[in-house]
Amino acid sequence: MYEYAVLVILFPLIAFVLVGIFGKRLSQGGAYVVVASFVAAFVVSLFLLIQALQNGMLSGGIAEEHVPLIRWIPGPDAADPAEGGIAFNLLIDNLSVVMLVLVSFLAILIATYSIGYMQHEEGKPRYFAEIALFVTGMLGTVSADNFLQLLIFWEIMGLCSYLLIGFWYHKPEAASAAKKAFMVTRIGDLAFLIGVIAIFVVFGTFRFDEIQEKIPALFGGGALDARMMTLIPLLLFGGAVGKSAQFPLHFWLPDAMEGPTPVSALIHAATMVKAGVFLVARSFIFLVPTHEVAGNLEVLHDAVPVTAILTVAVIGAFTAIFAASMALAHYDIKRVLAYSTISQLAYMFLGLGAGAWLMYAEGEANSAGYAAGMFHLMNHAFFKALLFLAAGSVIHAVHTNDMRAMGGLRKHIPWTYRTMLVGSLALAGIPPLSGFWSKDEILAVTFENGASNNLFYLLFAVGLVTAFMTAFYTFRLIFMTFHGEYRGKRAEGIHESPRVMVGPLVVLMGFAAASGFFPFLANGWGNVVFYGEPHAASPLDAFLAFPGAVLVVVSIVVAVSGLLLAWLVYDKRRIHAIVFTRTETRKSIHTALLNRYYIDAAADKLGRSAYLAFARGFDWVDRHVVDGLVNLIATSGRVISRASDAFDRRVIDGAVNRVSLDTVRSSLTLRRIQTGRVANYTGMIAFGMALIILVVFVAKVVLPLFGGG
Amino acid sequence: MIRPEYELILSALLFAIGLWGVMRRRNAIVVLMSLEIVLNAAVMNFVAFSAYANDPKGQVFALLAIAVAAGEAAVGVAIFLTLFKARGTIELDKIRLLRW
Repeated sequence: MYEYAVLVILFPLIAFVLVGIFGKRLSQGGAYVVVASFVAAFVVSLFLLIQALQNGMLSGGIAEEHVPLIRWIPGPDAADPAEGGIAFNLLIDNLSVVMLVLVSFLAILIATYSIGYMQHEEGKPRYFAEIALFVTGMLGTVSADNFLQLLIFWEIMGLCSYLLIGFWYHKPEAASAAKKAFMVTRIGDLAFLIGVIAIFVVFGTFRFDEIQEKIPALFGGGALDARMMTLIPLLLFGGAVGKSAQFPLHFWLPDAMEGPTPVSALIHAATMVKAGVFLVARSFIFLVPTHEVAGNLEVLHDAVPVTAILTVAVIGAFTAIFAASMALAHYDIKRVLAYSTISQLAYMFLGLGAGAWLMYAEGEANSAGYAAGMFHLMNHAFFKALLFLAAGSVIHAVHTNDMRAMGGLRKHIPWTYRTMLVGSLALAGIPPLSGFWSKDEILAVTFENGASNNLFYLLFAVGLVTAFMTAFYTFRLIFMTFHGEYRGKRAEGIHESPRVMVGPLVVLMGFAAASGFFPFLANGWGNVVFYGEPHAASPLDAFLAFPGAVLVVVSIVVAVSGLLLAWLVYDKRRIHAIVFTRTETRKSIHTALLNRYYIDAAADKLGRSAYLAFARGFDWVDRHVVDGLVNLIATSGRVISRASDAFDRRVIDGAVNRVSLDTVRSSLTLRRIQTGRVANYTGMIAFGMALIILVVFVAKVVLPLFGGG
Repeated sequence: MIRPEYELILSALLFAIGLWGVMRRRNAIVVLMSLEIVLNAAVMNFVAFSAYANDPKGQVFALLAIAVAAGEAAVGVAIFLTLFKARGTIELDKIRLLRW
């Protein structure tokens, strides 16, 4: 089955080409072709998953398979071109197989939903072709066998996010949001690119497995020391920060809401931002380097980049609370969800960071935190896709994003309400829905780490506060949108979305509710780990034991109290919302949250002033250096020509004039000989003749007399 | 037989007289006549040396020179005639066209 793995990427790619070229002639702008290609990719992924299961994925084995595609650059040795060369292979292992199934499945649902959502839009072929390419990029990213390949597909996604966010390119907000998304992620991509180059310089290969093998041998040598081991994962994490919209590169994601809603769902649930988490998961080979001792994988303790691990965890925890706090104040339904995505992604990073620390602290490849992070990735993919698609359905019904103009919609769009409610419960972490399991697992691992590093107690507290905020803003959204009275202009004409849109919602609702139980089937989610001992324990194990059980209770209490507060404020109105803005301090906090802590403005200002400074610098160089040079050349040219002029006038003209003047003067004197009197001429002739006679006489007669001649 | 020295001295005298006439006389006709004297001094030399060397070639040259002198006198007189028509005089002091 593995030899067909390439079809997973190929199907959407073919759909992209077909729809891109012939889309206008296909029905629904080629939507069916795209959906069909996703279904085909999903089926192939499913077979791959079955194959991996048969290879012992669940029993803790690593079903790792490298499917050769093409050899791009052969190595220096002609006899063995594979050595040192760069080849494109697909890596089908536990992690990528799960990601492939997840991504292609969500892509089917989102593309199907798009058929309804984009029904009356212009440019459908463009939309569906770009969706297909986007999914191709994500599938290629998760199945990449080496960092270079990963980077290439990663950049395809960057391009598609630009194209799709700016789908309504005639709207200036959409165009600038697309530019923002592209340029902000580019900052991260630059770090990623440098990291990839550093990897090749150090290891001479891009392949994950080869790098993993080489670390123990190379560590301690000149090229790979502790600093390099810290630098590489930090650079890779920089790429993830850009792609997954973590602080400080978070501000592109809320603006990305300018694109069509299914695109938001695609970016937030299946592709793009998940790639960042995936990249950090792949870079665990650097975060927790292992070596084999007596047949067991053990953590190479000296080489663990502690700083990098803590950076991932701290950035994760900080972004989680930071983004959740901004979600509290916003009124745009999609923006609230966008901040929620940033916050939840941050949870995943916290989980991954905590997991790496756990392995480091325990000295063995215990995948608890890692598994929790990836588990949350899956759960989040389901409920966030659900929430976005439901929000799209709401927007489709009322034609506005502003929650202040909604309210009481549950009567008009009951199915959207029901599905969104389930998604919100999952996001808020109410048991037994999916978000609860993974979030609590992350918090549990973070708390467990507190024993070895007190910093993690703080991160745990931050995570807990975030959980409270999450429950609050999620249900603020639900109550403002669906409960109470309708605050918009006309309630008539609001109707439920077509079946093609509600269908995916219902399917997603089922998964959002149930995906939390998958680990029970899968013998603990740790088996998605691509190396090391699997985390075989079921998520319940942590909860039943002390202090896990206490943590679970605390976390449930926190989530429910957040929900209740939202209910009191926005549904029952026991507490009026005005209390949040009553005093000056509260008002200013609210304003700060609405203005996203002024970070967007600061970034704009920074960009503008940096640009201005650049321009000024270049202006100075132009004026002083370039102009100075030009003027210098011009001045010296003038000086030289002036000297040359003087030489011409004084010396050359002088000589010529002198000669002519002297000629004139001498001729003035000499012409007096020409008297015109014949007698004078005759005299001269006679005188000359006499002279000649004298000379001849002297030469012939006188000189022989003296013995000469 | 007359000694050639006498003839040469006579020829030199004739030359000197002719030269003096050319240089000092102002009437163009007289100058032309003086030129004839200079020419005849040369002819005198030809004849003297012809007799002295007993060679008739000198006498042939003397006859040729007399013929050339006749032509020259004719051209000269024609020039003077035209000159007199144009300027009204043949005084050589007064005709100084080729001067500075």
